[in-house]
Amino acid sequence: MKEQLLQILTEAVPGVDFETETALVDDEILESLDIVTIVSEIKEAFDVEISVDDLVPENFNSVEAMLALIQARQDD
Amino acid sequence: MSFTSLPFLVLVLASVGVYYLLPKKGQWVALLAASMVFYCVGGGKTILYVFYTAATVYVSGRLLGHFNDLRRAAPKEERKAITAKYKPYRRGVVLAACLANFVLLYVLKYWNFTAELLQPLADHVRPGSQIPLSELILPLGISYFIFQSVGYVIDVYRDKYQPERNFAKLLLFVSFFPQMVQGPIGRFDQLSPQLLAGRSVNFTDLKYGIQLMMWGYFKKMVIADRAAVLVNTVLDDPWSHSGSVIAVGVLFYCIQLYGDFSGGIDIARGVARMFGIDLAENFRRPIFSTSLTDFWRRWHITLGAWMRDYLFYPLSLSKPFAKLGKFTRKHVKGKLGKILPTSLATFIVYFVIGIWHGANWRYVAFGFWNGGIITLSLLLAPQFLVWKEKLHINDKSLGWHLFQVARTNILVFFGRYITRAPRFLTAVWMVKETFLHPNLPDLWNGTLLTLGLTQWDFAVVIVGVVILLATEWYQEKQGPIRPMLETKPPLVQWLATMVLPLVLLFCFGVLRADYIPEGFIYQQF
Amino acid sequence: MNSKRWLLGFLATVVALGAAVLGFNWLVDPFGIFSHKALEWPSYEMTLNPRTAKITYLKDHHQEYDSYILGCSSVSSFPVETLNEYLDANFYNMIVYGADMLDVEQQATYLIENYEVKNLVVNVYIDNAKDYNVESDPRSYAMPPETTGESALTFYPRYLFMDPRHSLDKLRYMAQDTYLTQPFDVFDEANGAYDKKVRDAEPIGNMEEYLEAYPVFADYPDLSNQTNEAAITGTLESLSRIKALCETHGIRLIVLTAPVYADYLDSFPWDQVADFYTRLAEVTDYWDFSYSSVSFEPRYFYDESHFRECVGNMALARIFGDNSVYIPEDFGVYVTAENAADHVAQMASAEPLPLEEYTDQVPVLMYHHIDPQADDNTTITPETFEAQIAALAEAGYTAIFPDDLAAYVREGKELPEKPVVITFDDGYLSNYEYAWPILEKYGMVATIFVIGSTVGDTDHYKDTDYPITPHFSYAQAKEMVDSGVISIQSHTYDMHQWGPYEDTDQPRENLLPLEGESEADYRAALSADCETIRREIQTGTGEEAVHVMAFPGGYYDTLSLVTLLENGFDISFSTEVGTNTLVKGMDQSLLALDRYNMNESVSVEEMLSYLA
Repeated sequence: MKEQLLQILTEAVPGVDFETETALVDDEILESLDIVTIVSEIKEAFDVEISVDDLVPENFNSVEAMLALIQARQDD
Repeated sequence: MSFTSLPFLVLVLASVGVYYLLPKKGQWVALLAASMVFYCVGGGKTILYVFYTAATVYVSGRLLGHFNDLRRAAPKEERKAITAKYKPYRRGVVLAACLANFVLLYVLKYWNFTAELLQPLADHVRPGSQIPLSELILPLGISYFIFQSVGYVIDVYRDKYQPERNFAKLLLFVSFFPQMVQGPIGRFDQLSPQLLAGRSVNFTDLKYGIQLMMWGYFKKMVIADRAAVLVNTVLDDPWSHSGSVIAVGVLFYCIQLYGDFSGGIDIARGVARMFGIDLAENFRRPIFSTSLTDFWRRWHITLGAWMRDYLFYPLSLSKPFAKLGKFTRKHVKGKLGKILPTSLATFIVYFVIGIWHGANWRYVAFGFWNGGIITLSLLLAPQFLVWKEKLHINDKSLGWHLFQVARTNILVFFGRYITRAPRFLTAVWMVKETFLHPNLPDLWNGTLLTLGLTQWDFAVVIVGVVILLATEWYQEKQGPIRPMLETKPPLVQWLATMVLPLVLLFCFGVLRADYIPEGFIYQQF
Repeated sequence: MNSKRWLLGFLATVVALGAAVLGFNWLVDPFGIFSHKALEWPSYEMTLNPRTAKITYLKDHHQEYDSYILGCSSVSSFPVETLNEYLDANFYNMIVYGADMLDVEQQATYLIENYEVKNLVVNVYIDNAKDYNVESDPRSYAMPPETTGESALTFYPRYLFMDPRHSLDKLRYMAQDTYLTQPFDVFDEANGAYDKKVRDAEPIGNMEEYLEAYPVFADYPDLSNQTNEAAITGTLESLSRIKALCETHGIRLIVLTAPVYADYLDSFPWDQVADFYTRLAEVTDYWDFSYSSVSFEPRYFYDESHFRECVGNMALARIFGDNSVYIPEDFGVYVTAENAADHVAQMASAEPLPLEEYTDQVPVLMYHHIDPQADDNTTITPETFEAQIAALAEAGYTAIFPDDLAAYVREGKELPEKPVVITFDDGYLSNYEYAWPILEKYGMVATIFVIGSTVGDTDHYKDTDYPITPHFSYAQAKEMVDSGVISIQSHTYDMHQWGPYEDTDQPRENLLPLEGESEADYRAALSADCETIRREIQTGTGEEAVHVMAFPGGYYDTLSLVTLLENGFDISFSTEVGTNTLVKGMDQSLLALDRYNMNESVSVEEMLSYLA
């Protein structure tokens, strides 16, 4: 799952080292446009429902956070 | 009550004094009292609108909080059912709260525009009929406090935090006086705890507050108010001026707008800082923006953030957009198919930002201008990549960076033609004049000195802008400027942070450019 | 620097800078409200706010005055010097811009309660029926707190906290100050009136030229004014309080209503005007000058509502029964409750006097040297000269002296049917040899303007070896004066130098200032020259009054006219061509009179055509 996510991320926003970054939103590496693109890709790829309430920086600051979010939504 | 008036300074001083004298638990009451005084003096009876907004978001917030509590209290297995059960109620409440406020905003700010728009239609349907116009006074800062309050309700709806149970405390959040006139648009979870916290006197806060205020006054009074004289002369009546003078007028308008807006924000943040409160940052040196998107991340940040969280995200993730996304992915190949819906949402956001500024064709056009350029550049991004590769442009080079900054500023500059022209079509004409009939000699043949500013005033504006840019450049490259100053010897600090600012403020701010020598007009000797 | 120290430092800096600004405003004091002597410039301060600055000025100078004249700006044209003469008093003119009767009452009360007052003259203007207790500019029109009872706590801060550029302006204008009246310096602090020295030195005559210079009278603004019951009541009440105050203090009170320009008074409905002037008489007797033939003569006014000092002098002469001064018959009526109704009814029928009753046309002929070999445009042969004089006599002209012009203007003494003034410049011996006998022969008189420094130079220019056209001596001049045919007057003592013969880079070829000469130096030089020529002519010829000047080369300017007037030269001749219009009561019509240049080439017919 992580590999798939990483692929989505690099495709959406090329040239970012997603493995190590932990403040993707706070440092403005990802902007709102990227987040929306990534979310729609995630929804497509993992078949999860991600709502507006989930669009807070904490959920997108790192790959791990995004994975946790996907996991949580898959469990719902 | 203008920030640049003496009563405002008196209010600030008095409320700071009272604030720190009160016991910590009650300090927020001083803020509320000051806010009420400020609004009553500045807005009179329109303070009722503030109460109205506060009441609507208070009630809806409490209701939403109640539903959230019910959901949280439910055992895990029932939570889904409970959530589903209350979903329509919650939606109803949040929708009602939004409508209650946006309809008010619409009636007060946009109705007359719509009415004029619809008048021909009304004439057609029933000749001679007159769509009634609103004669209500636009309340002070309504676009700010309504957006801030609605953001609160939506956050509670999203269960980001518990609603405020004390109406007076919520009223303080809605009406906190430094941000009433020009923002920034705050977030409840960041602002309210600060408003309600108790503090002992902190000299550093007082110092930084005063310094920030002085910096704001410098931008507002020395630069913006002076530039405004020329702007009004030229752009209230652009038809009497040549293209190059119009361009100078618009350039000065850019200076005025930035000085006035960011200066006002600095004053607001400075005042708040004296109470130990950090208001949200609203400007981050927009002159160094590399793209129009970047510009909107640096200019009026809190408005952009509001639009992102409460308009862009919900819109992008809404069902219709999801469907649209599916559709475009299927029918449009490659990246373009993926970003089409996002681009549409982006366009809508900038369009709304445009009309947020006011009810006028010019702001509609301004929305189109920003939305159009940003959306186009999104859609064309893949193509740009190809071109850049072909032209061997190095993304990281200084030259490219400078090019981007210059390009962005030029786009912003022409955007300002639209917002400051008397009418939208005049803006088009003004741009045409700038290119077709610039009459360049007007720039040096003395014409500029007939526009209400003396050569001294020009010098003050130019030197002021240079100081501003140099400061911002330092902040952009080296970081905060005050810690750097604090390492200097006391004499330098005294001159740089007290004498110089005060003298400059007094000589070029307090003493306005429109001074009329007294007396000699009366005598009939 | 820690934050606490920074805050203290900041506070101290704010206080220091604030104190510096307030201190600067206090020290420079452009409105003259702080009674200190530093940077004192009363006439400037009065210009900015006469209400405050005059009270401040009087604090130090009240002992020089024992009488006051009060009112709006028209009151300035009642010359205090004239009042002083008639009443043997020392008047101060309290005129302030747009004074309403409350201002006047406050001033009067303050003066009476604080200083010794013998006479009080109060002017009532038609505007007093329109405005009372007007709210006006809080700095330029503010009355000092001593007169209004306003708290010093609200009054002085207005001036302390004002834009310090007002103070800077005062320093700037100090550097630009001149002797002549400037817009920033319009008062004469010594008598309180507007400094009229420039206005009084303004040559006035011909109506056409006057209307060109003062177009407001050619096209008077279309005004529509109304009196106001509250204003009338307020004015009359203030006035009766002033009257009561004067009675209790044994002060002589003279109330007068100043002349109003006819078109201005006509802008009020007549019944309202009549009402006001009638009710005024119920409060006090007064001298009414408001509406008469004078009101219709633009030359008596310098703008749409302000009359000239000459009119003020006529009014005062009427009040004090001075018959030596010309006064139009319908000018000035003493109004009491008894005659008020009749007077007001009669006042309505005031109309302009026919021009010929108070103006006259006088040509002046200008000769220089008489020479049997006349060869340039300033010389004439004795034969031609005699022919011209004979023709004048033949045509019925009577030659007169400048003093006759003055008597016409000042006393209204009529001129002969066909007056002509014959003048000679420079004082050539030929005037003595040829002109004198010829004039005597034809019963004509003439005035010769001599250059003092060359009187009696028969062959050399002053002390030089340069040859000169011979000039007559004082002995010869005395013979002529004694004959009653010739008056000797001034062509300056030594301000008509012949450059090439003078041992200096900057010869005085005329009475204008030299290049780079300071105002003070120039005025001193011209005054000394005036004094010398007057003394020399008087001792040399026994001429009674030396007060007429022919400008060397015809050149003059405002400063020279002002200085000449101050030195008693109140009649002057230029070289401009034209016939002069004299206006009775108007001293300015004696200034810079035009002259026809006569020489060999002017035929008798041509000369007579000038004079026709």
